[in-house]
Amino acid sequence: METEKPARRRETKDRRAEGLPSGVEGFNDRARRAVADEELHDSIELFTRKSVAGRNAVLDALPEAPELRERAYRIKQETMAHLDRHLQQMADAVEARGGNVFFAADGEDVVRYIGDLARSKGARVITKSKSMATEEIELNRRLEEDYADLGLEIVETDLGEWIAQLAGDTPSHIVGPILHMNRKRITEVLSQTAGEDLPPDVEALGSFARKRLREKFLTADIGITGANFGVAASGTVVTVTNEGNARLVTSVPPVHVVVMGIEKLVPRFEDLSVFVKLLARSGTGQELTVYTNFITGPRQTGELDGAEEFHLVLMDNGRSKLLGTDFEEALYCIRCGACLNVCPVYRQTGGHAYGSTYSGPIGAVITPLLKGHDEAKDLPHASSLCGACWEACPVGIPLHDLLLKLRNQQVEAGLAGKAQEIAFKGFESTMKRPLLYNISSKAGRLAQKPLEKNGSMRPLPGPLSGWTDSREMPPLAEKSFRELWKEGV
Amino acid sequence: MSDRAEFLASIRHRTQAGRYKPTNAPDVAWTGESGEGGPIGDPPARFIEELEALGGHGKRVEDREEAREYVLELARKREAKLLIRWDADELEALGVDEPLSDAGIEVTVWRELADFKEVAGKADIGLSTAAWAIAETGTLVLEGGPGMGRSVTLLPPTYVAVVPVGRILRTVPEAIGKYAGDVGSLPANVCFHTGPSRSGDIEMALFVGMHGPGDVHVILVG
Repeated sequence: METEKPARRRETKDRRAEGLPSGVEGFNDRARRAVADEELHDSIELFTRKSVAGRNAVLDALPEAPELRERAYRIKQETMAHLDRHLQQMADAVEARGGNVFFAADGEDVVRYIGDLARSKGARVITKSKSMATEEIELNRRLEEDYADLGLEIVETDLGEWIAQLAGDTPSHIVGPILHMNRKRITEVLSQTAGEDLPPDVEALGSFARKRLREKFLTADIGITGANFGVAASGTVVTVTNEGNARLVTSVPPVHVVVMGIEKLVPRFEDLSVFVKLLARSGTGQELTVYTNFITGPRQTGELDGAEEFHLVLMDNGRSKLLGTDFEEALYCIRCGACLNVCPVYRQTGGHAYGSTYSGPIGAVITPLLKGHDEAKDLPHASSLCGACWEACPVGIPLHDLLLKLRNQQVEAGLAGKAQEIAFKGFESTMKRPLLYNISSKAGRLAQKPLEKNGSMRPLPGPLSGWTDSREMPPLAEKSFRELWKEGV
Repeated sequence: MSDRAEFLASIRHRTQAGRYKPTNAPDVAWTGESGEGGPIGDPPARFIEELEALGGHGKRVEDREEAREYVLELARKREAKLLIRWDADELEALGVDEPLSDAGIEVTVWRELADFKEVAGKADIGLSTAAWAIAETGTLVLEGGPGMGRSVTLLPPTYVAVVPVGRILRTVPEAIGKYAGDVGSLPANVCFHTGPSRSGDIEMALFVGMHGPGDVHVILVG
């Protein structure tokens, strides 16, 4: 795509730590700006409110939901305890089916593998299905820059991701990448691409996108997807979409590359019945997405479509550091986005305020873990610790606990500086009202730990001062975030 | 490649040397209160109900003749010029090829195509059968294989599947269970296809027929 990239993304290149795009410092300033943006606020509210309502309805109707959640947690626990074995099994299974497997230590490895593959295939057009793992390593930009001589045209095919790509923007939500853009802005972006004024209605915009992207699907030399799940026993990669783009990306081009985080594995095929049931329900309030696609290796003899060549890239990029540590549970995440939708901080600031690929509670947890505290020290404070994220999580990741542990780490490392001692009063008041602080005593006890070490209560992140300024929000001390959130729903 | 062993050894080391054993298994009551799930009394009826709730069309017919009529009528209504179908015995037996040709609608069978993209890309209707259908979600379980092109179910704007009622399963786990037993013989592609392709990326407004077919019909025979 011949899209002009905003200057910000250029500047980040040199200072990026391996993997995540940089810019995760300064949550407070970005959040303050976001809170003041009423249009943005309306967009976030529309998306999160609908998502939460849909998710609640469909999970409430599932009697075995609590049991599934517990099983999901246990399966992930088991997966991580023997991750080396499961990875080996996955690789063996894929190779037994004639696929190729590459273990990538970091984003650089992934870029090199795919870039070299594109070169050897003489590829020109690459279609991609939405993948957070490739967003995380900025695969598109790095391929375009590091392999500029190939003149690659890399096309995102999820409607939202494509529009974000055309606008030189990044996704602001795991499931709804452009929830921050309203129809007016989307119409501008697509009209520019069309070279004519498109009417601002969904039919016209969607039809234009279908037609334009169809050309890309049919001419692509390589298709790249992420993976929602990988099944170690069979070597199967599972992708879920509503649009059908992952199925097209994996069915039409002769080469399919999967970029999968090593934590996406489940041991057995039957484990999928737990996760498939939870993922769509938690993410979009559907029982199943329109397409749940299971790919096991390249096309077989006699098949006319499906990729002839299958490449599985198993990416670490900082994940394995969490194994066996207090933060291992962060690897259980299935990227459904439910914790974003219920988070009172996310609902005020949107995803871009986090300045990282992953936003919301899970982003506040994994960004510092993958990227380091130095780069992301604001994020563990971008939470009110209300525990709504943990309650919403279909895998039961104790996100609020992990955020507290991260804050602890910061204190121990002497990283908790002046910057965070700004909006501390409000937090203190909330914490002192146990009825409002609607979460387990365990979390409360943990919360005290960093406070004691400092000799005083730990500060609340800066944006809260912004919230208390905004006209809809009463001062923090009056109500807990949890309560505000409930009112918001 | 040599660094694979190193990669795995490092992970093994971390899992074994780590002190932390996750103990925070969810212990709170978690949703699932109303329990509307309930048993599925009449799987074909439930399948159709679910599919139609998603904007698809489902119909149960008595026999092949009726199924054939449905396909013919649909092709006429959509003013189709080209229909592409799987190379499957059941679809041969359906006997739609001749009547379609008589009506001036070209039929291409998914076998030995010089350029599958060209043909499937311009077809107006795709016709297939399905390995299974799932009642609780209105889902078709499509297996790829020789004669069973993925593109047939994907590229044409209208898609029809003809499925014997005997292949209706009740639940998603039941369908997953069909493949869990012998993973070595898994088809290279299995797809759970549930209703018309759609997107909600523009202000959460529903757009039907995003990349796959927006017009989906399932005929249950028997």
